[in-house]
Amino acid sequence: MTTHTAAQAATQTAQQPVIAATNLTKTYQGSVRALDELTVAVPTGITALVGANGAGKSTLIKILLGLLPATSGAATVLGFDCASQGSSIRTHTGYMPEHDCLPPDVTATEFVTHLGRMSGLPATAAKERAADSLRHVGLYEERYRQIGTYSTGMKQRVKLAQALVGDPQLLLLDEPTNGLDPAGRSAMLDLIARIGTEFGLSILVASHLLGEIEQIGDHLVALDGGRLLRADTISSFTKASEFLLIEVDEGSDLLAAELTSRGLKPVGYQRGLLVQMDGESSFDVVRDAIADLGLPLNRLEQRRHRLEELFSDTGSEAVAYEAKATEAKGAGDVR
Amino acid sequence: MSADNAGVIHDIGYRAYEGSRLGRAQIVRALTWHSLRSAFGFGRGAKAKIVPVLTFVAICLPAIVSAVAVALNSQHIRPISYDVYLPQLRIFVLIVFMAAQAPDLVSRDLRSHCLPLYFARPIERIDYPVAKLIAFFTALLVMIEVPLLLLYVGTATQLHTGSQVWHETKALIPGLLLGVAWAALLCGLGLLFASFSGRRAYATGAVAIFFILSLTLATVLTGIGQGPGGGTGLAKLAGLISPFTVLDGARQWLGGTTHGIVPNPGGYGGLYGLMFLVFLAVGIGGLIFRYRKVGVA
Repeated sequence: MTTHTAAQAATQTAQQPVIAATNLTKTYQGSVRALDELTVAVPTGITALVGANGAGKSTLIKILLGLLPATSGAATVLGFDCASQGSSIRTHTGYMPEHDCLPPDVTATEFVTHLGRMSGLPATAAKERAADSLRHVGLYEERYRQIGTYSTGMKQRVKLAQALVGDPQLLLLDEPTNGLDPAGRSAMLDLIARIGTEFGLSILVASHLLGEIEQIGDHLVALDGGRLLRADTISSFTKASEFLLIEVDEGSDLLAAELTSRGLKPVGYQRGLLVQMDGESSFDVVRDAIADLGLPLNRLEQRRHRLEELFSDTGSEAVAYEAKATEAKGAGDVR
Repeated sequence: MSADNAGVIHDIGYRAYEGSRLGRAQIVRALTWHSLRSAFGFGRGAKAKIVPVLTFVAICLPAIVSAVAVALNSQHIRPISYDVYLPQLRIFVLIVFMAAQAPDLVSRDLRSHCLPLYFARPIERIDYPVAKLIAFFTALLVMIEVPLLLLYVGTATQLHTGSQVWHETKALIPGLLLGVAWAALLCGLGLLFASFSGRRAYATGAVAIFFILSLTLATVLTGIGQGPGGGTGLAKLAGLISPFTVLDGARQWLGGTTHGIVPNPGGYGGLYGLMFLVFLAVGIGGLIFRYRKVGVA
């Protein structure tokens, strides 16, 4: 039921997407396809843009900001066309780059104020908003110190503050937790969640770390090799299915056959078998099958279908797995 | 989560900006002003002001000394000309100023990789180099014209008749116009060489080496040309190598009679005019091209 309402909300907000891309393609030097016929709509709220390194996340962000022309296809941000209305987009969008982009020898206040001016704020407004933004990201007295003396976590906060200073409607954050320790990561994620929910800004967060992104996002756009893997609400990703991972020391094939004959659809996964759960009774079926065959059971693990599994270690393997798992799930539904 | 609350701003201290926003031209003006301040070390520590202040004092001092000389001299004759000022001192001071300050305008932003932050804002790619060019042009104008104005004020206030003052003003105007040409030529080249590297030392080195080497080469070749073995053509053409000698050659081509740093190019004068335009285009066009190429991330 939750899935149903979430999906409904998604379709409703998708009617006025914050970001919409149609057949967006970007080719570098004629051969490298960074984006490949990408069609996606991003609704308001916090959206996670996930994908392995090189999946096209940063390229997409640069096209959305109007900094990079698309090879073909079109995209709009906040209703403005990326190719022709870039400066309108940039007026209402805050961008936090992935890499280090702060000069060491100025204070955070000076730097953010200057960038506020560059966002089109008059001098006094820039000063006020710089102070506000730095306070929102949790920099108080430190903001009068030179940025060179800051820790990585503080620098990331300054980068976030400079994205906020121009009072954007949309934030594009490229790997905001890069280089942070676990405590710093969760602080940064809390901050992003707060900005999204309490300040009412739409946020697109690019990340290759899926586990942390699923904590804060409402929606998820998964890219792989420049193509759209999936776009949906986070809840539908994580709650869609539960699996049981079974590992036996020997006789995996026998067990697979036995489980199939008992009405389950096992899929080979790593060194074991993955079985879609169909209520509590599935446990009994699996137990009986193993007991009847007398196989040495090594591991029995209940798994949520987590986002990491969209991309396991290698990209192609992940896609194949995703397809198999969905297939197994679909077959289960039919039955 | 937030999908339901989108657009609702809760009262936790976040204030949206309701006021008017500056247009592109005003943002460029703000960037220009910011860059001009940084050309003289304003907005930064005391250390950043050492070179600009020293060079400014060095180039203004002769004008003040001249004013004293004019006062003591019964004929009120000005010892320094407006159109070349003190060529060796001016060239030396400007090379030091450019080598020290041009990197402050361009290579700092390259070093800290903050260009994507500018380009992600409502200005266009070309606006950044244009703002830097205007700022550095203005900074060089201050370095070149302020001494001339001091020289003028120091002289003119001691003159008695209106016609003398008018004569003095007429002498000043070509000097000021030449100063504009100097600033225009040097701002592009100075920033272009400074933008080669994000490392300040390299950027400073690139600026200094280009200007010193080309000037040395031009001077040496001119010397050889004027020597017993050299043809007069060499003496008149060698000046085309360096921006400073090109400026001086073009000045003489346009009718300047004061003795400068190169011999009068005579029939080759047009080449100096042409070379001036080439240096101007290379400096300004090169810098703009440089920033078309710079990566956004």
